[in-house]
Amino acid sequence: MLLLIKNETIKMIRKKRFYVVLLVLLVLVPLFAYAQLRESESKREKFGTDWRREVQQAITDNQNSLGSDRVPEEWKKYRKIYIQQLKYYLEHDVNPAQPGGVSFTREFLNNAASLFIPLLIMGIGSDIVSSERTMGTVKMLLTRPIRRWKVLLSKLITLLMFVSLTVVCTVIICYLISGLFFGYGGFNMPVFTGFQLNGSEVDMSTVHGVPQWKYLLMQTGLIWFVGIVVAILAFMVSVLVRSTAASIVIMMAALIAGSILSNMASAWTSAKYLFMVNLGLTNYLAGTPAPIEGMTLGFSLAVLSIWGACSLVVSFLVFTKQDILN
Amino acid sequence: MNTTSRIWRITGLLSAVSTVILVLGFLYAVKDIVQPAQGEEQAHLSQEFTSNYPPQGNNYDVAAIGDSLAKGTGDDTGAGFAKRTVELINNNSNESKLINNLGINGLTTAKLIPLLDEEGVQYSLRQAGIIILSIGGNDLFDGNSVVNGGDLPTELDLEAAVKKAGENLSKVVEKLHQINPHARLVYVSLYNPFTEIEGMRDIGNKAVSSWNLIAMEVMDLYEGSLIVPTYDLYMNNSARYLSSDHFHPNGDSYQLIADRIIQGLAIPHK
Repeated sequence: MLLLIKNETIKMIRKKRFYVVLLVLLVLVPLFAYAQLRESESKREKFGTDWRREVQQAITDNQNSLGSDRVPEEWKKYRKIYIQQLKYYLEHDVNPAQPGGVSFTREFLNNAASLFIPLLIMGIGSDIVSSERTMGTVKMLLTRPIRRWKVLLSKLITLLMFVSLTVVCTVIICYLISGLFFGYGGFNMPVFTGFQLNGSEVDMSTVHGVPQWKYLLMQTGLIWFVGIVVAILAFMVSVLVRSTAASIVIMMAALIAGSILSNMASAWTSAKYLFMVNLGLTNYLAGTPAPIEGMTLGFSLAVLSIWGACSLVVSFLVFTKQDILN
Repeated sequence: MNTTSRIWRITGLLSAVSTVILVLGFLYAVKDIVQPAQGEEQAHLSQEFTSNYPPQGNNYDVAAIGDSLAKGTGDDTGAGFAKRTVELINNNSNESKLINNLGINGLTTAKLIPLLDEEGVQYSLRQAGIIILSIGGNDLFDGNSVVNGGDLPTELDLEAAVKKAGENLSKVVEKLHQINPHARLVYVSLYNPFTEIEGMRDIGNKAVSSWNLIAMEVMDLYEGSLIVPTYDLYMNNSARYLSSDHFHPNGDSYQLIADRIIQGLAIPHK
């Protein structure tokens, strides 16, 4: 079994799929970091080094939009929580946007959690089975005296290994590159978490400060879970669909549909049972209200686990039963 | 064979380590969200933050607070009298910057009082050498409802509103003075935006003038404070000086108000 996994790992490295992921990160992260740098420079022009005034202005601006009838109620929900968060930071004399490599990484992960990182993982996972078919090597693999489920399991384990590597590499690359722009500090800066929305009131009773490195650890843990589920789903699609291209398109469509749905499906509450709406686990940490009423961390974890478990069952059933024709 | 072995060993090891770390992070995050750790209270406000006044000598930095007029609603450039005042001071070759514009649309005197307790607001006000206040309009008139043909307030309604808001105003001004005793406080007084509307012209004028009288009495208690009149601008010229919502000033009249603020402050030319 270990030998099979080893074999799959070597294949994965040799196929350079993982290098592509790293390359994408190496190209994109500097772009994001540069954009962020420009933005903070233009802010500094207006507010000098006084972040407190900048935060206070942000609070006032958001309060103004709360009064406007043209702003949709859902946005107001977000802004209410945002205002409370900013006030909390201000009262505790912590700069919420303290520039630094760690802060940048945290922000980046927040934004990347529901689309960017799942896309990277999908890139690795989508062709892990289907490529063997496209290339015709699957016959070679299955003529060996090894049970089919073992072959599939070894592929799955390899995939999960690379999910971990991808998430960790994202964090490390992000930190190293953004450190060049913003410096490498910020590990001990407190981040406040635990903001909850109760009806229209913001519940502050559970708010507590966490050092940023711990926050980062929690974030990556949640993203890892999302990554595992996305990987398993991509894995199933890869088993079901013959061509690699098709399986990538299917997964990509599902993920993008998720990000569109979370933006507009708040009225259609049963959409919360779809896996792609539940990918934003880090939002529960940040205190951003969930896209659909009634979603909690437990709920999202359950939905994701069920989707993952079902696709595992489907993948193994199909792969062990199906005839390999071509 | 040697290199494949090495690849396998390195990747295997790295991924095992990463997985362990990530699982720990995941469990920790779930625990933290489901059962939030009652974190020890963070150090509440450094000393420097609560008692930090900038040098007062020639401080012409402006902070604006209050309602939509302070914010600059109706000004197509978005500047309002706060930014325009800063520009004028700078043109007079004095140094000035806008600390913060804390104006919020629809703010009433009653809502302004708790706002002044916020530490961020206090921080901004403390940095300023000139605080421009505009408040009271929303206590007296519901602009939207009047302009759009809703029920007009009666004379009695207005009298009651003036009385109640007047009490709030004296609290507001007292608080502002407590927060920053060094700054020069400028109050932009009210005008009657409804001189064109039959049934609002006379009672509106009356309410506004009794309001402005109250404001003047309140402000007179504090040395160095200033009342800027706006009443006359809109008396016969509301078509020219009101913005398209028939309630807020337009850019031109914000500029006139800023001019008046500068005249009243008597800032020396350099």
